[in-house]
Amino acid sequence: MNSATIALLGQPNSGKSTLFNALTGLRQHVGNWPGKTVEKKEGSFFHKGKEYLVADLPGSYSLSANSDEEVITRDFIASGKADVVCILADSSQLQRSLFMLADYAGIDVPCFLLLNMADVAKDQGKQIDAKAISQKLGIPVIPFSATDVKSYDGFYKTLEEAIKKGSKLDVDSLKKQYDGIKGYQEILSLIPENTVPGYSSMWLAVKLMENDKVVCEKLKSALDSETYKKLISAAKETQGAVATGGCKFAWIDDVLSGAVNSSGKKVSLSKLDKIYTSRIWGKPAVILTVLLGLIGSFIPAIPLMIVGSLILMLKVPVASALAAVGAPEVLTLVINDIIIQSFSYIFKMLGFVFGVTLVFGLLEEVGVMARISYVFDNTMGKLGLQGKSVMPFLISFGCTMGGAAGARVIDNWGQKVLTIALAWAVPCGAAWATIPMLSTIFFGPGAVGVIVAILLTMLVHMWITAKVFGGHLVKKEDRYGMIMELPPYHKPKWGALFRYVFGRTKETFFRVAKVVLLVCSIFWLLSYSPSGNGGILYAIGVAIEPVTKIFGMPWQLFLSYIASAVGKEGAIGVISALYNGGSYSAAFTEAMSGAAAATNLNEILLANVSRPEALAFIFAMTFNMPCVVALAATYQETHSAKWTGLIVLYYTAISLLLAFLAYHIGMLIW
Amino acid sequence: MEKLLSLLKDGHARTLEMLAYELNTDVDDIKRKLEYLEMVGAVKKVSFNACSGNKCSECALHSHSDTTPCKGCLPDGGFKNMGEMWEVI
Repeated sequence: MNSATIALLGQPNSGKSTLFNALTGLRQHVGNWPGKTVEKKEGSFFHKGKEYLVADLPGSYSLSANSDEEVITRDFIASGKADVVCILADSSQLQRSLFMLADYAGIDVPCFLLLNMADVAKDQGKQIDAKAISQKLGIPVIPFSATDVKSYDGFYKTLEEAIKKGSKLDVDSLKKQYDGIKGYQEILSLIPENTVPGYSSMWLAVKLMENDKVVCEKLKSALDSETYKKLISAAKETQGAVATGGCKFAWIDDVLSGAVNSSGKKVSLSKLDKIYTSRIWGKPAVILTVLLGLIGSFIPAIPLMIVGSLILMLKVPVASALAAVGAPEVLTLVINDIIIQSFSYIFKMLGFVFGVTLVFGLLEEVGVMARISYVFDNTMGKLGLQGKSVMPFLISFGCTMGGAAGARVIDNWGQKVLTIALAWAVPCGAAWATIPMLSTIFFGPGAVGVIVAILLTMLVHMWITAKVFGGHLVKKEDRYGMIMELPPYHKPKWGALFRYVFGRTKETFFRVAKVVLLVCSIFWLLSYSPSGNGGILYAIGVAIEPVTKIFGMPWQLFLSYIASAVGKEGAIGVISALYNGGSYSAAFTEAMSGAAAATNLNEILLANVSRPEALAFIFAMTFNMPCVVALAATYQETHSAKWTGLIVLYYTAISLLLAFLAYHIGMLIW
Repeated sequence: MEKLLSLLKDGHARTLEMLAYELNTDVDDIKRKLEYLEMVGAVKKVSFNACSGNKCSECALHSHSDTTPCKGCLPDGGFKNMGEMWEVI
């Protein structure tokens, strides 16, 4: 025989293409397999006067009928077109890459095994005894490196040997593994040898158990209908692909046993991971990390907060300049009370957006966020949710709309709705910008305590909400576990991190500026009264105040609370307009007279809002409906007006209840 | 493999190291089995692309594809250092 055909078989990245190119050089051509869009690469080379035709088969994980590539590959081999199959395995991960060999076992074509990337394995400290593996498999096995020209002498020698001897894989030990599968023997007995040419009964029986559709069709054509029915019935009784896969891995382990020595270090948990993954200390550690992160976010917020305060100082010179040029008073009020005041708040809010984004971005960069997800996942499990629910919650720290939209990765509708309902309890970026700012004004260093209280309330809120809605939405059996490969800790890439943080801050600036200016203007106009007899809002506010006071909020704060349902940013605009708007009420102006000279709204707020009222507002605003965009996203994802409406009503009621409790607790303290 | 699947069905999250410890094996063994279970459709990798595609105002503004996370919702380029997650189907 002056020519022979070699088929190269291996998983993706096993080095097949490198070997193919090295063997064939320019003597190759690329086309498509007949009727398929799968690339067909063929070539040839001469060695010792003999021509070798090489078929580079499509790379695939196994020989199951999961894709066109896999079906083409196995059909080509079983057709007998190849005289020998060269199976490539990655020496650096033999445990994994020998799966292709295990799946090949039972195909009746001579083969040999190439342990490619032997150099990589050597660098990893692995010592591989190819002879020992060869003895167990009954085929030639050689260590190889497709990128090393010196390896090719061994390759040619092995190739000649495999063709000459027609070496076939010894599958006895694999058969013994399959024998342990309940029902396998019965299936095997129903498939005579040579039922489908090229494949052994064992191979066909295994593929049948794996529910390989193409094999099922072939058996259906080759066997009588009664036998086929029996086969299908017997296959259904087995553990299927899980059982056969287990056998293949056990066989691989058996083949490698005593043939591979590794000097690699054993993987062990770092001290930090031992804490984060501890069933006892994991949750406290994560809560502490998040708390420290939020508290730490105050530091990078300082520069922008200073800018916000400096903007306020423009009020006096601007008012003087406008008076000097004879501008109408209303223009001065608009510029001072709307534009300057709004931008002062916007920059103070941006300070916290910058700080929170930087700290949480840093936690993600260094790998801590993955640990937080892991720890929260177990908690989610107790609420009947999937591991994936963690992501919408984390996203909700930035934007509830993103969290609601992110819940679409959850397949189970009930779990998705519950996830969204719980995501609403997570204060969004705008809330995290407002909470620290108002807390700092009213409570000074005690702002940290308010943040802690908000976080704890969030957790309790989520737990209660899960209990309230969970029973109607999820079943316990819907919940499955989650597996995580925790990323290694590493130093942050500061450039990328700051690009992200500045980008996010810039986007927030434009979004918040639009909302705050718009809301502030509307409420200012509604509250403005040149006569000093009170504007529309004053009339409404005075009328509803007996009710709003029950929840610890003066009417101005209550209207801000209503505005926070449109967007948390809006709350600040409304506060700014109502407490700085001036002439909507003579009584209120009187009340404000003590602070009339003040240009700083902080002082005006402190003069007119008590600490319990401020606390009530902070809780009401934080746990109110996040914003109208989040509402729209919730409806979009749940496709249920009923559940969207229920969630809105529930959150409105809970936020008012929390305001009531916060106010009365505040009254006891102050 | 059956033991691995039954562990995954008990509702607890585990790291690869924990699974390896509970099954008295190594992480590489768990990884290859997860890869196989993923191939046969018993588990699936969790996608961190929580972007709402063109339905999110941010995404609609930049008209990017569904596979690119929204800058306003996620860190630029998505969560890159969150490790890998799988769940049982």
